[in-house]
Amino acid sequence: MTDLSLRAGSVLVTLSILLLWQGTTTTGLVQPIFLPSPSSTFVNLWHGLTRGDLLALTLSTMERMIYGWMLASLGGILLGALIGLSPRARYWLTPTLELLRPLPASTLLPVGIALFGLKPGMLLGIIAFGAIWPVLLPTIHGFSAIDPRLREVARTLGIGPFAFAVKFGLPNALPDVIAGMRLSLTACLIITVVGEMITAQEGLGATIIMAARSFRSTDLYAGIILLGVVGAINNTLLGFIERALTPWRTAPS
Amino acid sequence: MSHINARLAPVAKARIEPAIAFDAVRLDFGAKRIVDGLSFSVAPGEFACVVGPSGCGKTTLLRLVTGLLAPSQGEVRRLGVPVAGPSRDVAIVFQDYGRALLPWRTATGNIALALEAIGTPRRERAERIAALLDKVGLSGHGDKYPAQLSGGMQQRVQIARCLAQGPRILLMDEPFGALDALTRQVLQDEIAGLVRESGATALFVTHDLDEAIYLGDRVFALEANPGRLAEVIDVGLPRPRDQLQTREHPEFLRLRHVLFNHVQKTH
Amino acid sequence: MSRRHIDLLLSVLPAWLVPLGLLGGIEIAMRITAIQSDGLALPSQVAAALLAAIADGEIFLRTAETIGAIAVGVPIGGILGLLLGVWLGLSPRAAQLASLPVELFRPIPPVAIIPLMMLIYGLGIRMEAAIIAFACFWPMLLLTRDAVLGVEPRLIEVARMLGLSRRKQITKIAFPAAIPRIFTAVRLTLGIALIVAVTTEIAANPIGLGYAIISAGLSLRPEVMYAFLIWLAILGWLLNAGLIALHHRLFGAAYGEVAA
Repeated sequence: MTDLSLRAGSVLVTLSILLLWQGTTTTGLVQPIFLPSPSSTFVNLWHGLTRGDLLALTLSTMERMIYGWMLASLGGILLGALIGLSPRARYWLTPTLELLRPLPASTLLPVGIALFGLKPGMLLGIIAFGAIWPVLLPTIHGFSAIDPRLREVARTLGIGPFAFAVKFGLPNALPDVIAGMRLSLTACLIITVVGEMITAQEGLGATIIMAARSFRSTDLYAGIILLGVVGAINNTLLGFIERALTPWRTAPS
Repeated sequence: MSHINARLAPVAKARIEPAIAFDAVRLDFGAKRIVDGLSFSVAPGEFACVVGPSGCGKTTLLRLVTGLLAPSQGEVRRLGVPVAGPSRDVAIVFQDYGRALLPWRTATGNIALALEAIGTPRRERAERIAALLDKVGLSGHGDKYPAQLSGGMQQRVQIARCLAQGPRILLMDEPFGALDALTRQVLQDEIAGLVRESGATALFVTHDLDEAIYLGDRVFALEANPGRLAEVIDVGLPRPRDQLQTREHPEFLRLRHVLFNHVQKTH
Repeated sequence: MSRRHIDLLLSVLPAWLVPLGLLGGIEIAMRITAIQSDGLALPSQVAAALLAAIADGEIFLRTAETIGAIAVGVPIGGILGLLLGVWLGLSPRAAQLASLPVELFRPIPPVAIIPLMMLIYGLGIRMEAAIIAFACFWPMLLLTRDAVLGVEPRLIEVARMLGLSRRKQITKIAFPAAIPRIFTAVRLTLGIALIVAVTTEIAANPIGLGYAIISAGLSLRPEVMYAFLIWLAILGWLLNAGLIALHHRLFGAAYGEVAA
């Protein structure tokens, strides 16, 4: 089978899944309240985006998520660089940070709410607070694990500590930093959505939980699809960043 | 055992300071004695090769010259001055070229690193880099990342970076060991030419006896456990050397025998 | 105390000295400044709350609820993901055909599924298990597929040269070669399961450790909230450490070191 025909086959598989979905709902196998038909879902989605406020809600969620992510990344990279470049700091601090690693990002949400309250602006800070950890540890690792041979090259060339941090430390850390930023963005999405669910602030999270509570299944499914789209956009965004910042990893051999 | 190369007969009354001088150098790593009683010197502009079995301290020797290691006893001098640490006058070509190049910089970028370090003004850099790329035969490959280059090409980039330093002493640690035979031959001739052109003093470590004779003005043969200088062999072969003719020269064959016997004894 | 014991203690010195020092410092600082906040608690109060929760068994109850949901959800989603992943790994054709549907459904974050399962199952363990099953399906699918694809092709060639049937190639060569990576996939999936479980409890489900954390936070009992947080961190760390140790035990000698 050629590459093209397999790709077409993949599209066919997707279409048959949709057909199956449609078939299940028309025959009444599953109640529409639990599984609305694809046609009604997409109609609802379309209406919501073009005439309703689904677009505004999606953008609201994305805005919150991205701003929180940028804050978290900035803080995480700066802090991670400082700790990573200092063997002393690493020795003392890394084990404690490793202990905090297994904590899910969402668990910092209650802490943030308890500390900062439920004011609208605070959700952003809480998101940043929760999303800084996934980017911190990989950044520390990236700045610390420099090939000893490269260190010798730097010494032989007489490169000073500041130039070393910028010319060696930073590029060496970039792949790890980007990996951490990817995790952080995922965490941001989770915290944003859960945060919206709990605090009922305007966004997709609040929308879908309200839809579930009022049994409006087409609204619910539309919201889920939109969140999937946000997830896909996140992946694409990170792919761009990775190719732009670390061209040497993605260059053809 | 150590003597100044007779071809460099002093013109003035002043003694010409050896480029590299080892004075009863001993190095211990904990309880292990790596090298002991190492005394020899290399004249300026000389191409000296070092051979010996594994564990004889060949690599350690180079690191003592760079100043990345300090002797436990004795003294290492560069151009008459005791070694206190790395200096930009000394460049070292590592065997594991993959690890010695910055993966995030192109070939041009890697060479530029040396120019940045020695403080070459920005305007001059592009020209110097182009000239160096040309010298090592990599014109047109400047924009490639190390991962996109073959082993031989990567090693050439490293050599170019070392030459960019404008070193007075060029150290090479089995630089062609990881390359295939054909590439090795090409690079042997290239390095011989480049070193002669730059006027630098070369200290070349290899396990390949033929390579040592082919490239060197003198060959230092070490023995192991602990590393000691066993023999110094003068290579009186004409320059420039040729892969076919020189290797069939009767003197070449004689030196091969000498070195081979030495290796047999010390293994 | 032997030399080895002393060395071991010294090697983990930063691990326990820094946290203890920090906690001690926080305790003193908070007492001196007499700071008042609904979100802060003295480390001593947190310790007391933790002991109290252990004493009256509440912590075990909550843990059991969370673990219960995981115990139901992981096998369902995990085994489905494993089977499908093995199939996609063995058959490049199937993998190509499945590529578009996978790319379309993959980006849906498990949190988005929470209201859906709430709609279908209401609140409780079933709803959480369903979400966990969904969340575990994808990583198991993809990582298992990669594990099977990652089998050294040279080994398969050897198997073919030896004249082994396709079935024997799979059972004697491919499967044993892929098992360590599949085990790693299970370990990572279990980690994800814990995260998703707790997240679901924080967001909506009134059971388990996550619920204990959020309800303590909202009812202005920060010491209880931090106590459960610490417990959760310990739990997560134990789970991961235990699985890594198990990995070493099962695969260490033959397969070499494991990636953390």
